[in-house]
Amino acid sequence: MTCCVIGVGNDLRGDDAVGLVVARALAGELDGTVRVLECEGEPVSLLAAWEGYDRAIVVDATQSGAAPGTIRRIAAHAGPLPASLSRSSTHLLGIADAIELARVLGRLPERTIVYGVEGASFAAGSELSEPAAAAADRVADAIRRELGGRD
Amino acid sequence: MSETRTRTVRTDYLARVEGEGGMLVKMRGGRVTDVQLRIYEPPRFFEAFLRGRQFTEAPDITARICGICPVAYQMSSCLAMESLAGVEPAGQLRALRRLLYCGEWIESHTLHVYMLHAPDFLGLSSAVELAQTSPELVERALRLKKIGNDVMRVVGGREVHPINVRVGGWYSVPSKAQLQALVPDLEWALEASRETVRLVAGLDFPDFEQDVELVALDAGGEYPIERGARLVSSRGLDFPIDEFFDHVVEEHVEHSNALHAVLRGRGPYLVGPCARHALHGELLSPQARAAGEDVGLERVVRNPFRSIIVRAVELVHACDEALRLIASYEPPAEPALEVLPRAGVGHGASEAPRGVLYHRYRLADDGAILDAKIVPPTSQNQRSIEDDLFAFVTQNADLPDEELRLRCEQAIRNYDPCISCATHFLTLEVERS
Repeated sequence: MTCCVIGVGNDLRGDDAVGLVVARALAGELDGTVRVLECEGEPVSLLAAWEGYDRAIVVDATQSGAAPGTIRRIAAHAGPLPASLSRSSTHLLGIADAIELARVLGRLPERTIVYGVEGASFAAGSELSEPAAAAADRVADAIRRELGGRD
Repeated sequence: MSETRTRTVRTDYLARVEGEGGMLVKMRGGRVTDVQLRIYEPPRFFEAFLRGRQFTEAPDITARICGICPVAYQMSSCLAMESLAGVEPAGQLRALRRLLYCGEWIESHTLHVYMLHAPDFLGLSSAVELAQTSPELVERALRLKKIGNDVMRVVGGREVHPINVRVGGWYSVPSKAQLQALVPDLEWALEASRETVRLVAGLDFPDFEQDVELVALDAGGEYPIERGARLVSSRGLDFPIDEFFDHVVEEHVEHSNALHAVLRGRGPYLVGPCARHALHGELLSPQARAAGEDVGLERVVRNPFRSIIVRAVELVHACDEALRLIASYEPPAEPALEVLPRAGVGHGASEAPRGVLYHRYRLADDGAILDAKIVPPTSQNQRSIEDDLFAFVTQNADLPDEELRLRCEQAIRNYDPCISCATHFLTLEVERS
């Protein structure tokens, strides 16, 4: 099974970088069958990023009102992301939309897992908060375990 | 006023990252009394972040302001540094910049036309619904967008935030064969863009016109994209970009942290596809011109809803131009010109997909940035967008809140507002009293 890990976020916006931090922690240590990517731009590029992969693991920051550092693991191939994690709706394409777009078009990897890490601050220029940094380590471990037992 | 009733209509609108911008419409007795667009996130953080950095770092740092138009930020910052140093990358060095920029236009215009704006006109709530009703259109959009990405990857070294751009030119230049490999896809994209023009020209447009001063760069005989030494307007303004702040004033407005740009002594103005098309339409490639003429596109588009057609025509131009640039490409002997730091002030401007992006830097003699000023297109358009909304809501005041909200969103999207550089709207509030 081919697999990619995609970290989504913006480096210069505090906890929004958490997906990128996880991707960087994993890059280089995973074997050649797993591709690690960063997605800093708009989320439609996710469709291109996971094209051709059977399995995708996407990591992004969330802003749902939960305690900072809260980790959620969602099997996106089984259904839409919960509304509380969908940060855009009417038109702008967020990750949730990219996933739904892919589902409708038959472009969603067979297994698509989304890890959401609740952020504390998204202010431009702020550092990764402590809860988000700790959660990034835990998510990276979880992904290592997930891939270690890959089918 | 015996009774005050306030209804609040909320919508998540443009938010990858949090923000608290919004739009407020105030109505009294069926009349619109105020429209406020609150934009909270101009690139002030980046202006501060740039201080003390080396002039050579500006392209990479500013590219991170926007995930959709990094090339625009790179180009405007390079131009500013080069103009101060008295260096001008020309010939194939410039041709490659134009080609990279075409990639960004293809990507950005496709995303906006198909994924963001078209669903409004088709009465669909989102691109996901469009994919359900017309998957072939979304597939076409994804392929077009991917071709824009490919151009950026081959020329810029990476799809998002190209890393190959430097002050003076490039770190490395592509081979002729690498660019030739893009040709079949770009030929497909050219045809798909022409179909896009036909598609969007057939949409229903509200009867609505605005008369506002239009401003675009003048690139001296070619359609302005990656550079321009002067700014020109539909009402006769014509000045070099280093006089930008002699003609543009940024006004603080109470309801927003952002500054609203207006023309000194003249008022609001508009940058972007409609301005470029009105001022330089005759410089579009023959194919792009023909695509517009075939669908009866007016020479000066005053109905902002019809900007979607202009964007599609510019999409044709970007594909056609990319093919032309590739056909005449010869790798330059050196990938970059030497740019030595010098104390002083440098100005640079290019045409981001959504309009003029102006940068100004003051450097110390060792090349350290003392001061940076960035004026994104959405800041310049914001006042015009408010004026539009005021007129549009007045015309449609009878609509129920929900429909009014959708129509207002559509009206805002006419300007393809920057997502990360200028706006994070989350809410639209309609106050009726």
